[in-house]
Amino acid sequence: MNNYYLTYERTEKTKYVSHLDFVRMFGRAMRRAHLPIAFSEGFNPHPLLGFALPLSVGYTSECEILEITLTEPLPLKEIMGRLNEVLPQGVKITAVSEGKSRMKALDYALYIVRAENLPESVEEFLSKESILIEKKTKSGIKETDIRPDIKSINVMQDRMEMVLRAGSRANLKPEVVINAMNKYIKGYESGDCEYHRKKIFDAQMSEIN
Amino acid sequence: MSIKNLDKVLKRVQKATRYSGGELNSVIKNPEDVKIRYAFAFPDTYEVGMSHLGMKILYHILNLRPDTYCERTFAPWIDMEEEMRKEGIPLFTNETHTPVKEFDFLGITLQYEMCYSNVLNMLSLAGIPLLSSERGEDDPFVNGGGPCSYNSEPLADFFDFFTMGEGEEVIGELMDAYIEWKESGGKRIDYLKRIAKIEGIYVPSLYDVTYNGDGTIKSMTPNCPEAKPKIKKRIIEDLDKVIYPDKLIVPFCDIVHDRANIEVFRGCIRGCRFCQAGMIYRPVREKSPDTLLNDACNLINSTGYEEMGLSSLSTSDYTELETLTDKLLNLTEKEKVSLSLPSLRVDNFSLDLMQRVQKVRKSGLTFAPEAGSQRMRDVINKNVSEEDLVNSATLAFEGGWNSVKLYFMIGLPYEEMEDIAGIARLAEKVVECYYNSEKTNKRRAVNVTLSVASFVPKPFTPFQWAPQDTMETLAEKQLFLKGEVRNRHIKYNYHQNDISVLEGVFARGDRKLGKVLLRAHSLGCKLDGWNECFNLELWKQAFSDCGIDMAFYTRERSYDEILPWDIVDIGVSTQFMKNENEKAKKAATTPNCREKCSGCGAAALCKTKKGCVCFE
Repeated sequence: MNNYYLTYERTEKTKYVSHLDFVRMFGRAMRRAHLPIAFSEGFNPHPLLGFALPLSVGYTSECEILEITLTEPLPLKEIMGRLNEVLPQGVKITAVSEGKSRMKALDYALYIVRAENLPESVEEFLSKESILIEKKTKSGIKETDIRPDIKSINVMQDRMEMVLRAGSRANLKPEVVINAMNKYIKGYESGDCEYHRKKIFDAQMSEIN
Repeated sequence: MSIKNLDKVLKRVQKATRYSGGELNSVIKNPEDVKIRYAFAFPDTYEVGMSHLGMKILYHILNLRPDTYCERTFAPWIDMEEEMRKEGIPLFTNETHTPVKEFDFLGITLQYEMCYSNVLNMLSLAGIPLLSSERGEDDPFVNGGGPCSYNSEPLADFFDFFTMGEGEEVIGELMDAYIEWKESGGKRIDYLKRIAKIEGIYVPSLYDVTYNGDGTIKSMTPNCPEAKPKIKKRIIEDLDKVIYPDKLIVPFCDIVHDRANIEVFRGCIRGCRFCQAGMIYRPVREKSPDTLLNDACNLINSTGYEEMGLSSLSTSDYTELETLTDKLLNLTEKEKVSLSLPSLRVDNFSLDLMQRVQKVRKSGLTFAPEAGSQRMRDVINKNVSEEDLVNSATLAFEGGWNSVKLYFMIGLPYEEMEDIAGIARLAEKVVECYYNSEKTNKRRAVNVTLSVASFVPKPFTPFQWAPQDTMETLAEKQLFLKGEVRNRHIKYNYHQNDISVLEGVFARGDRKLGKVLLRAHSLGCKLDGWNECFNLELWKQAFSDCGIDMAFYTRERSYDEILPWDIVDIGVSTQFMKNENEKAKKAATTPNCREKCSGCGAAALCKTKKGCVCFE
């Protein structure tokens, strides 16, 4: 089988598309591109697609990664060209590569958060030993400590940059961090925020792309 | 142009892609480059509206014109409406997020009566005066179309005009007339008078209605020379020549019918006496298999859909169904697309076809005997026998299915309790088919689901004069049937009967109902097709506040009464409807159009004769 890794961006026009809807949309794009897609076995065959990390509804991103499987090899440029021709506005493939997947190594993500109001400082917030938030689970509301999943938060002039745990082992969304900031930083009210995923990294903080 | 705070609101609502636009194949034009901006509204949620084929056809046809930009808008879900009202966001289009009020036209398709409250709610959200008489020179023209426009009288106060018949035939003329009118510098009323002369256009404000003392109509007459005394529906004569979209918008979110549909034919040969669609879409006109294959090919390529559907009122009646499915399956199997067939008839069910078509997915099978006893099936002219159903069910069970759904109606004209008990007896016979056959797998249990709707008499059917059962009678009948269903393999589903009665009131309503709609809207009625929103008490209050009795509209009519829809000519004669109603009383059947022409009059609509059942 021929595995390829697509890096793509999702901009304003597709930021409200949920992950499940995006998966279906991508399958249809592969059909329109007439790529020799490998299908899953079974009763209801669907194209073999592997997404590195779901993107939350309302977020934009420039570092999404998707693994596809084709039944015959194709030049990388052709895969990119044919897909970009049929994708809706707001999704664009920016790179295609082949070879061994680094998707499983994914451990951190860098998010850009643009809030209506920025906190003056997050030093005190980050110096806490634990940052407890309430999380709704199937069995009720549970307290969780998110501090271990925050690697860094930088407050810049017009935005915040957050490096947070990401992937299947641990995953923290920046909106959860914002909620915690609203709760724990005295007098802070973020207002509406915009979230953008900028980069993803492995455990050693080396960028995956 | 773009709406302030929209992004903020979209972040807070569920399934924002219903409002945000940007779907594949949605049309992007520069509004500056066109002379006409047309907002096409479906007065229900996005998921329902985007499943509607007619909207896709008209959207495509309007956008083929370089001088016109057609955009879509839908009824927002409750959470979105709340946010819009809070933030002062008016109803806007999905494509460019332009307020609907800024458009030249607001076209609203009327597919079922229970969307009327949404029509008013959408006008109110748009900031367009609800009453046509209160609209100013800058307001859009509000245009209605679709099956409910054939009796549009309950909506007459809210619409500037209605289109009778197949929209793609007349919409171009309306647009041309608009450009001419605009260039001539005329007033709003001048455009309405101009288009009143076009065949198929009904401008309700150009007609005066008077009433008798008992509330029935005394007269309905044009009040200006431009208005036609009778509005004739428009139809496409040759379906092979009509433009069919080569692209369909592919929504991001899941919708009701999420697949590529090709339209096989229009009309229906059957002539079931309760069915409005079977009368208003006459005569039957088919597309050729080659045209359909071409449509299918275009859509598969342009949408990437994994499922293709055949659309018509009764697909198994297509004359070249085998040729068509053979050709289609060659295409779909290669592209790994599954083909789905809707509405099967009991009498010409082909197992071979079903198995080929459902190779990938074995979904449930549905049959529609509609009535429980043979007498009742003859009354409604369904023309299927118990034997047909037994044979089809046996074939299906032997083909590996173990679950079937049966559609029925109660509250039909001339119905007796034993006809209703017949529904349970028929279902029991279907269960027996499973256990009597040697070829079925007895280790699996058989499931028969009864889906029973309440009959609603509709205009332009032989039952248009019939009385409608009251809510109480319908409830009694449902309870009776529940008691009759005693087999553990049979599941009985029934629908709310109160909504059917309301549907019946508006289906055969007149202009006096306009004030009830206004009142219901001000009381907060909306999204009545949704159980979680429908509120009968509010509707009852609206009727009583206006001093209008629902029973006036559900009563039986005599043949001499002037009916609110008599002003429209669908091409099928009233005499034919009367004959059919008289035959129903005697439980006498009428052969289908292909067996023998019954002279309904629709043949005169189709001068080109090609592909039309009247000239086979």
